[in-house]
Amino acid sequence: MSLLSADELVKEFGGLRAIDGLSVSIDTGELVGVIGPNGAGKSTLFNCISGVITPDEGVVTYDGTEVTGDPPEKLARRGLVRTFQSTRELETMTVRDNVRLAAPDQPGEQTLSALLRTDSMQSAERAVRTRTDELLETFELDHLADEYSGNLSGGQRKLLELARALMLDPDLLMLDEPFAGVNPTLTDEIAERIRELNEDGMTVIIIEHELETLTELVDRLIVLQQGRILVDGQPDDVLSDDRVIEAYLGGEV
Amino acid sequence: MSALDRIPTDNGDLALLAGLCCVLLGGLFALTPLRAQLPSAFYVFVEVGILFVIYGLLVLGLDLQYGHTGLVNFGHVAFFAVGAYGTAMLSAQDTFAGIGLGYPWPLALGVGVVAAALVGLGVSVTSIRLRGDFLAIVTLAAAEILHSIFVNFEGVFGGNVGILGVPRPIAALVGDADTRLAATLLVIGGITLVTLAGVTRLTSAPYGRVLRAIRADELVTRSVGKSTVTYKTQAFVYGAALAGLAGGLFALYNGAVAPGFFTIQVTVTVWIGMLLGGAANHRAVLAGLAIIMGLRLISRFALDVTPVSSDVFASIRLVVVGLILVAVIRYRPAGIWGDPQELGVDR
Amino acid sequence: MGLLQNIIFGVVTGSYIAIAAIGFTLIYGIVNMINFAYGEYLTLGAFIGFFAATTFPIPLPVAALVAMAGGGLASIVLARGFFTPINQTGPVPLLLTSIGLGIALRNAIRLVAGREARYYDTETTTFRFDAIPDLSVGSVDLLGGFFVTSEQLIVVASAVTVFVAIHGLLTRTDVGIAMRAMGDDENLARVRGIDTQLIRDSVWVLAGVLAGLSGVLLAIQTNVNATTGFSQILQILSAAILGGAGSPYGAILGAYLIGIVLALSTAFLPSGMSGLSSAVAFAILIIVLLVKPSGIAGTEVREA
Repeated sequence: MSLLSADELVKEFGGLRAIDGLSVSIDTGELVGVIGPNGAGKSTLFNCISGVITPDEGVVTYDGTEVTGDPPEKLARRGLVRTFQSTRELETMTVRDNVRLAAPDQPGEQTLSALLRTDSMQSAERAVRTRTDELLETFELDHLADEYSGNLSGGQRKLLELARALMLDPDLLMLDEPFAGVNPTLTDEIAERIRELNEDGMTVIIIEHELETLTELVDRLIVLQQGRILVDGQPDDVLSDDRVIEAYLGGEV
Repeated sequence: MSALDRIPTDNGDLALLAGLCCVLLGGLFALTPLRAQLPSAFYVFVEVGILFVIYGLLVLGLDLQYGHTGLVNFGHVAFFAVGAYGTAMLSAQDTFAGIGLGYPWPLALGVGVVAAALVGLGVSVTSIRLRGDFLAIVTLAAAEILHSIFVNFEGVFGGNVGILGVPRPIAALVGDADTRLAATLLVIGGITLVTLAGVTRLTSAPYGRVLRAIRADELVTRSVGKSTVTYKTQAFVYGAALAGLAGGLFALYNGAVAPGFFTIQVTVTVWIGMLLGGAANHRAVLAGLAIIMGLRLISRFALDVTPVSSDVFASIRLVVVGLILVAVIRYRPAGIWGDPQELGVDR
Repeated sequence: MGLLQNIIFGVVTGSYIAIAAIGFTLIYGIVNMINFAYGEYLTLGAFIGFFAATTFPIPLPVAALVAMAGGGLASIVLARGFFTPINQTGPVPLLLTSIGLGIALRNAIRLVAGREARYYDTETTTFRFDAIPDLSVGSVDLLGGFFVTSEQLIVVASAVTVFVAIHGLLTRTDVGIAMRAMGDDENLARVRGIDTQLIRDSVWVLAGVLAGLSGVLLAIQTNVNATTGFSQILQILSAAILGGAGSPYGAILGAYLIGIVLALSTAFLPSGMSGLSSAVAFAILIIVLLVKPSGIAGTEVREA
């Protein structure tokens, strides 16, 4: 069943078409990679789907309803969660609070509950704390829990962002370059986590620049070029496709 | 730090208790034959103290807006003025100029607060999406417009004279000046303490976590599912309502309101107090405000012993105030007690 | 008084606002700050011009040049002392610093120069044009006789001279072209080898020179006192934002629009409410920010 589909999306920046009539459909439970050279429109596609920007033309459908132009907060609450290419931590908050913030349905985020310190807020917060501690432990960030996230290294930021996204318990997780700037050991660990999440039923889309990790990880690979889909298929087939070799891999293969 | 970590150690509920005690004690002075006696040298301290607790409400509201949420409101005096004028016009018995409707003061105070909140809502609905420096300009301009409306519509707002004949509930109950001052300070100070307890609860709860996340990065906060515009609007309206409450209490204490009480100086004083103490820390902003208002006290005494005119002295004081603002931003951007990392000014 | 006369008043007001608004908007575009102390630069210029003209036996145009030089010098000294050191902290600390500096300057000027208003000693010739027929529509006279004074002509002529000079500077000189490049994209400008600090300093000097001239012209029209410039800052700011913050040509257009609206609102508001005319300028500013935040041509001021 199709969880997410984009139909004939177009987005222009100052006359330049960043994505140009792009259509794609992702089924529930898939683990999809999106690759392409700089400027191919990968991040713009993510931004259009997640509501950060509104496409000029085209329709985005998520979980059976049209969501074109819906704001990111609405989509996040419906289970469509994304990370950012250049990690965006809440640098003036601790690692712990970064993760806790993302907890959905916390009644203590309402004025009255907060003022009265209601029982529902307290019990929700206890659950949030437990879940946060679990996630921090999983991503081996627990020793940094009270550190301001502005002090983390690039790789740690990637982990934190992933932990924060998982706090929302997403149905569709969209990761923008989760391995960029991360050392090889950590890359393998993150990849392993993503695979586990996918095996537990989470649909995952990953944008990546580097091919190696991705081709081993994903079930399906989409190659973008100049705002269009060049090839879409199984990783092995895609990598042996002449157009991909010519356009993307160039002389490397 | 987050909600439950803070609960055992925070003084929010201590403030609530202290605040209620103050109001109670003030009530005792006002309602029973109990009398206070103040040394006459103490008068000036109590007077500045009353102004301090009123401004305290202003700085707590502003800190909710700027310190926690990052909303640059440079027209805070506008909401103070709306609360004051709303309360005054509804309750004034026989004002010399402008409108005085003579309703009971509790009703008038309520309307004043609601009016300030509504003006705050109006400003946020239209402008809350603007970038920080432009929001500052819009709020500043709104305050200037309001000021010139108060001055120019004499038939309604009494022009430069303002609204006179506003009831003074505490003065009506207590005859002698000493007890009156003590009761006023206790009651309004108690209200400020209760407010301190309220904002402390609000910001140490998950609610405050969302506000601080908005200040850090609004897009990230949205992408984890928080309706940031709603929170920004709420924070702005709460700050405006607190300023309205401060204005209403001021009107009922002072017995009159006039444009001269509501100049940009009020905004500047409250901003300096907040920045000097350290934004996003309720007790720090109150302490910062106490320092800057203490300067006012010093200058009153200094005026008595220096041979310059009060006019010259006012100018000197404002030069100093302006330079303090400049110096704090440059040398102490997180204030005295603020956390540079939490405020993102660690350079 | 007819509409035509009011429009003339508006054009005169627009002229000195325009000169200042160019300086203001250049600071916004290059230094990326709203300089709320800029009104005080006008006041400084007006006082320097006044004291130059009364202390030394020099004609007014020379005094104006002295005021421009003084304004430029004051501007760069203040920038070096207060703004350049915190350049990297972002627009809000810069704005707050300028507000604090403005208060300090305004009151320092009051301390030195006193409270009373001073008047430039000028000889005025008035040219009357009474032969224009009235064209009344309701209570509004669309034409009507009008007059212009030699002072007003000087103000407008100075403004036009400034526009031509600024246009030449921005299009013909290396410094001006570098300014425009930096306004577009500072990083790109730096990569291309432009000395950004030098350009920033040049903009401060230029903005101070313009403020000095505008202050003198304003003072000739009205008077000099400690709040001469401050009373104009919101109009200047409105003009700059109306024209698209950072765009000198937009600022000129915005200034004349503001000037004419101010003159008309003074003329047609009921008497006793003429004090509201400045509120009208701020109301325009707020509406512009809400309806078209980028102004007539300029940068986005809303967040994503």
